[in-house]
Amino acid sequence: MISEYSAIEGRSPRFYKLLGGLVFLVLIGAGCFLAIEIFGHGITGMNNQVVWGVPHVVAISLLVMASGALNLGSMSTVFATVQFKQFTRFSAFLSIALLAGGLAVLLLDLGRPDRMLLAMLHYNFRSMFSWNVLLYTGFFMLCSLYLWSMFEKPQYTKLIGSAAFGWRLILTTGTGSIFGVIQAREVFHSAITGPTFVAYSLTSGTALSILLLVTTFRLTNREFDMRVLFALRNAMIFFVFLVFYMLIVEKFTKFYSPASYDVENWLLGGSMSWLYWGGVVLIGILFPLLTLFNPATGNTEGGIMFASALIVIGEISYVAHVLLAGQTYPLTLFPGYEVSSSFLDGQMATYTPSLVEFGLGLGGVGIVGLIYVLGFLKGGNFPGILDIICFFCDSCGNFDL
Amino acid sequence: MGRETMTMDRRTVLGLGTTVVAATLLAPGVHLIAAPTRTEAKEGRRWAMLVDVNKCSTDCTACTRACRVENNVPIFGDPNRDIHWIRKVEIRDKSHHRPTVTLPVLCNHCENPPCVHVCPTAASFVRKDGIVLVDKHRCIGCRYCMIACPYKARSLVYHETSFPKDGNPDVPIRAMGVVEKCTFCVHLVDAGKQPACVAACQNSGEASMIFGDLNDPNSEIAKRVREVKTQTIRPDLGLKPQVYYQGL
Repeated sequence: MISEYSAIEGRSPRFYKLLGGLVFLVLIGAGCFLAIEIFGHGITGMNNQVVWGVPHVVAISLLVMASGALNLGSMSTVFATVQFKQFTRFSAFLSIALLAGGLAVLLLDLGRPDRMLLAMLHYNFRSMFSWNVLLYTGFFMLCSLYLWSMFEKPQYTKLIGSAAFGWRLILTTGTGSIFGVIQAREVFHSAITGPTFVAYSLTSGTALSILLLVTTFRLTNREFDMRVLFALRNAMIFFVFLVFYMLIVEKFTKFYSPASYDVENWLLGGSMSWLYWGGVVLIGILFPLLTLFNPATGNTEGGIMFASALIVIGEISYVAHVLLAGQTYPLTLFPGYEVSSSFLDGQMATYTPSLVEFGLGLGGVGIVGLIYVLGFLKGGNFPGILDIICFFCDSCGNFDL
Repeated sequence: MGRETMTMDRRTVLGLGTTVVAATLLAPGVHLIAAPTRTEAKEGRRWAMLVDVNKCSTDCTACTRACRVENNVPIFGDPNRDIHWIRKVEIRDKSHHRPTVTLPVLCNHCENPPCVHVCPTAASFVRKDGIVLVDKHRCIGCRYCMIACPYKARSLVYHETSFPKDGNPDVPIRAMGVVEKCTFCVHLVDAGKQPACVAACQNSGEASMIFGDLNDPNSEIAKRVREVKTQTIRPDLGLKPQVYYQGL
């Protein structure tokens, strides 16, 4: 059990390489943002049929994981799982980092990001987007307070941690509801979309935490306690089953209604079905479960890491499936009729993402990584900012990053 | 590095972060920037359109052409990105029991417009006379309205636009990055005229489209909606669209 926290030196060439790599990603993102800002969304693959593309997939995936990253903190603070207490700071801080990265991509992909101040001053309180802005800002604040309480006022940690736990459930339901409330789109409109997003936040947040913790421990030449890893693995298995359950309930409900046959048959057998079967089902559910239940792999650090990576890919695939398939399937203007027009009515939409979209998404990932890495640096290197999070070790001397 | 300094740093950073976020939360209550003045429309009117599908011929595009000219709607040459305020849609009965028809589809200026409900900045709004408009100075280009509209009536301006050589000076062009759509030719309606598509339709001899005030019981549109069987697109969604179709 880690009982003391301290910063790393961050002076080794390996550390600077890591930092340089992350800065490079952020620069790519900044360059792509500027390109879109100057030349317009015409240089992306998005169009008037598929209006949200890869940047939104990345942004929403990061936001879902931001909520999930709080899992370790919640398990410790709310559900009194003592062995995770050492990772509460990590958990709250990772949430903030993911939130910052996700929101950055979302905001920078706006058609007019220069009007953000105007947007902040004029909320339409009926909009699900506005609710999400409030939920994200509130979550940011609660995570900051959660961290502050851990550092300064531990007597408030339980209270603030519990509030953050409740908030994150509402937050992710809200993120899913951005799609779930849209009546016009048959793929989106469902009451279970919000809860499914919550389930995905549980799987992907835990998986990402495992990946980052084990990697950070390896890079700092420390051994990760396998008992903790097994506990996280078991929680992750439960969460994956929860996702599986949600997906089955949704498909069962949809297939019970003849009105949904066309869209559901297309989702499971049409042009984008590869994303569902390949990304959501195989990579996101079956392969991880097979890996984790196989004693030869499920009890090893490498096997659990592999399954965690698959689960993160599965979450991104699910978000991509909802977002892209939901827009690709044509709007039903006249049920029972075939329609066509110069505006491509009645046709499956096409969308080929461009490099600038991937670049913008990578920029968001870079922001997350940069905040995460800088968060546990020793303050002396960059005075005033970077000793927010000092964790993982008993003393500075143990680090060789 | 002393422990005390580190604690101060944390406190400062967390405090600053929380303050910034709190300021963001409170920002909506502070109107530092005045919103553009909204056009006020006469209350009590309810503008609506009726399309007689039986009179709308397949090869006629008078309405769509007139709309482009009147509203300076650009064509980029890419069907996926071209902007359509109004379009002709061909409808074929899957069971082949009914003849194929074509009809214009445009913004339905719904009484319960989902585009207005989802717009985070209230850039999309409903005038008192029921016309749904986009404040092009307030739109941030999030495209959520395009996701929410069941009629595919909205388009994002994907490329830089310039004022056409013989453009209509009464209608400013929309900037790249904002969403635009049919306004029912609000500038003409406010001047007591008919929308360009309706005028063009009547001038072409088809006279398939009529426009007027539904709340005026003596208006032609009110009489037709009252007396003839009409229907709207996707009435099941409960949006109360204000474009009616006769003979569909």
